[in-house]
Amino acid sequence: MRRALTIVVLLALMAGFGLGVNRLIASRKHQIPTEQSVFKPTATRPKIVLPGTLYLAQNGDIYRLSDGFFTDLHLPTTSGLWMQPAYIINSQDLVAVLRAAEYSDLYLLNSQGKILRALSNNHWTRSNQIFLNHWMFYPHMGANGNTIYFSYDQPKDSATYAVDFSVWSGALNGKLATTQLSNSNPFTGGDVDPTPMANGAVIYSRFAIGSGNAYSVIAIETKPLAKPIALTTPAQDCGQPAPSPDGTKIAMICVGGTGLQSTRLEVATLSAGKLGAPQTLVNNCLCAYPEWAPDGSGLVYYNTADATGHFELWWIRGASSATLSPPLQVTTNLDFDASSPPSWSPLSSVPVMAR
Amino acid sequence: MRRQRASLRRPRKRRSRVLLGFLIAFGFVLSGAIGVVAYFMPAIVTAFQDTGHTIDRSLQTAEPSASASASAKASAPPAVAPSGQPFTVLLLGSDNDAKFGGTVLTQSMILARVNPTTRQVVMESIPRDLWVPLSSGGTAKIDAAYLHGGASAAVATVEEDFHIHIDHYAWIGLLGLVNLINQVGGIDVVATNPVMDDFYPADLSGKDPYALERVAVLPGPQHMNGMQALMYVRSRHGDLRSDFGRSQRQQQVLLALRAKAKLLGIADLPDIATAMGSDFSTDMSISEIASLLPIASSVQLQNVHQVILASPYTSTGHQANEDVLLPNWNLILPETHQYFPAV
Repeated sequence: MRRALTIVVLLALMAGFGLGVNRLIASRKHQIPTEQSVFKPTATRPKIVLPGTLYLAQNGDIYRLSDGFFTDLHLPTTSGLWMQPAYIINSQDLVAVLRAAEYSDLYLLNSQGKILRALSNNHWTRSNQIFLNHWMFYPHMGANGNTIYFSYDQPKDSATYAVDFSVWSGALNGKLATTQLSNSNPFTGGDVDPTPMANGAVIYSRFAIGSGNAYSVIAIETKPLAKPIALTTPAQDCGQPAPSPDGTKIAMICVGGTGLQSTRLEVATLSAGKLGAPQTLVNNCLCAYPEWAPDGSGLVYYNTADATGHFELWWIRGASSATLSPPLQVTTNLDFDASSPPSWSPLSSVPVMAR
Repeated sequence: MRRQRASLRRPRKRRSRVLLGFLIAFGFVLSGAIGVVAYFMPAIVTAFQDTGHTIDRSLQTAEPSASASASAKASAPPAVAPSGQPFTVLLLGSDNDAKFGGTVLTQSMILARVNPTTRQVVMESIPRDLWVPLSSGGTAKIDAAYLHGGASAAVATVEEDFHIHIDHYAWIGLLGLVNLINQVGGIDVVATNPVMDDFYPADLSGKDPYALERVAVLPGPQHMNGMQALMYVRSRHGDLRSDFGRSQRQQQVLLALRAKAKLLGIADLPDIATAMGSDFSTDMSISEIASLLPIASSVQLQNVHQVILASPYTSTGHQANEDVLLPNWNLILPETHQYFPAV
């Protein structure tokens, strides 16, 4: 009896040892972060309190960052993913993109996440003609709070394979796509990131293909379908322009010379329709979408914190001035949607009853 | 008499105790070994199924297409480069969907020259529409080489047409690429431009192999999962450069995967093997693949040279009722032989 018990215990110990070895090796597995390993922004606090209200997108939902707290707008995600929020000047409302598998639409929302109305209907219901669906991305509101600028895959000729974005504008309280502002280069992907400037011009990223390479230049369109004025060169390969609130500086993301594996965050002065020599704020990064603080005191942008590839929010105080501070990582483990420019409203407060 | 018996029993007892101790120790070692084998079982199964395939060198044509081959054959290099020496790998990517009745064309062909000592890599994309003599006979687009004899025929065709020696090949199917990228937690890519396509094949997600879906990959830095990365490297309809744009994006994604290789260790192999399943094959052994991991992760970006055979290396043409790319061998061969030794 005693001997049998000893054998059973020994066998159990051996099995446990084998299992232990198995689990020990498993524990040596590198913990590669996945989409599941990020936090919801509302479960975290940013490292610093930024002024105003930032709207950001993560995993198909939109969040508001105000007074050092994230708020989930709790938008319904049954028909697609929410991205690219754009605040409306002197308003608590915003416009955002709802992206479905074959099309995307613009929606008007309030700051609490209530859908006020759809601004477009780009869905073509007949599945055998999917090319009749359309994309709309990158909404930006004009200073009058009514003109809306965006990228739209029109005009499109279904007889060819060409699908390219052009910059369009329309009225928030009227017809959405009324004016085509840019004539994009065909078979390049087209024109994106339209941002209105104080002087009425529109600055955007214009894609082209030359010498076998795709690149973008930052261009200005002063009137509809006019010849665009290029502010950067093809070799610089810059895009994602963000004009400072006073219109004297442009922050941008440049790829030229990086071997297409990294980017640079640069700032240049804008004077008399020309950009000065760019100042590189961050080099050899995966920086994306700079956005100036409403008071021009600095800028935020996305960048990965390490090799994990999670895009976090970073802040540089006094960007482009002599008092430039080193970049500060504002968030951790949030992995924001890096294709979704942050939108920064000067208004910091939302109605008390809604908090 | 009793004392005599007891003295006889003592060494026997000691022997049996030693034997028992040995058995117990062996039991623990065996149990630990079973734990190790159980952990690596998916990788072991994959290693047997997917690796160690051999290149059938008999598929090379008796009469090589190039005049240079006669002298080269006499001094042909060994089938496999010695350890530590630079070697050439032909990377093949295929659609393996049903619309071709189970036959497979290569959508991607990338020649890679790896120098393990200097940690330098050259990647040369071969356009899929390149009109070339096939090792299996006749002339066709180079993507058909795989169709007529698998990886060995693809290797033989490239060797004969480009006058180079290929040490190894690695083939990956579309789903294998998707699963590999998902397994490493996605990749970070700076999308070169908006990649737009209204005629992208929806052959991986539905029952209809001819179904289409719309693609819009937005430009700039972003995190891509496997499906998004596949759309990025596979789409070509909306690109002025057609297949060349796609080749550039494929090389970009390979480099992004290299960045993720830095995070991997041997304990990750079973998960990766399970993810890739039967959508991967190579003539390399599992130990050769394992030895490549540290090389891949330590290669610096500035040591990677990328070659795309766009104009003037190739020009558009029409052959056998097909739009093809006609090679300008007078330019292609000198360019190729700068990085891949001529044979």
